[in-house]
Amino acid sequence: MSGQNYLVAAYLGMIGALALWTWTVFARSKTLEAKINSLEKALFNEESE
Amino acid sequence: MLGLFGVGLTFWLGMEWAPSVSINAFQAPDAQRIFYWHVPSAWAAMIAFGMLFVASIIWFFKRKEWAWRLHVASSEASLATGLMCVWSGCIWGAAEWGVPWDWTDIRLNTFAMLTLLSLYLVLGRRSQPDGIETRDTFSAFGMYGFVLVPITYIATRLWQIRHPGPVIATSEGSLNSDMSIVLLIGAISFTVLIIGHVMAGMRLTKLEMHLQDLQTRFEEESR
Repeated sequence: MSGQNYLVAAYLGMIGALALWTWTVFARSKTLEAKINSLEKALFNEESE
Repeated sequence: MLGLFGVGLTFWLGMEWAPSVSINAFQAPDAQRIFYWHVPSAWAAMIAFGMLFVASIIWFFKRKEWAWRLHVASSEASLATGLMCVWSGCIWGAAEWGVPWDWTDIRLNTFAMLTLLSLYLVLGRRSQPDGIETRDTFSAFGMYGFVLVPITYIATRLWQIRHPGPVIATSEGSLNSDMSIVLLIGAISFTVLIIGHVMAGMRLTKLEMHLQDLQTRFEEESR
């Protein structure tokens, strides 16, 4: 394998790790906010009934 | 976002602007450009391990909620940057040394142990119910594991086996000034990136705790 191929493999791995890490943070944040909103609505409805 | 932009700029400068190394001094001179992300990711990992250490101490002795959130966020950050560093190091090792790993090299092995420690903390926390005992156990690992950081730092100064020794801030001053600039931009960018990620991670942990409270309340009211 040439030096260029090693370079590509190393950066693809690092870019992939960085992208996955960043995406995971945003995705988890969105999911948590949605769950919190629905639970808060359910709790609010129970309290008002 | 600023951190990501800086990391992207470092990548572009490292590929396009930074000079090539001597083909006589390296087995794989093209692969040397891996260094522009490898070194800053190692730097960022060390910052994350430092945050993990401080957070573990503060949680263990002062029981501050923010310290636990910092513990969680910094263990995730140290895992991500540690894996980036180990992966790029293995690829460079395969290109330059002909082998991806050397089990006799102190620097490689202590850094790998630090990354494995952060993997244990991330996976362990997800598999255990949250509570004082769980937090104390993981904080103890965060405190005692930090002993590997100074060993990793001085390893190439005391026992240079295969990993190259320091190339900046040394009396030899062997790094070209253009390369130093790219490396500096990389170090600053990765620092900004990791601080941003740790802040986002702390917010996530806060949301997780809030969700846990709401679920408990919901279950109690449903009975």
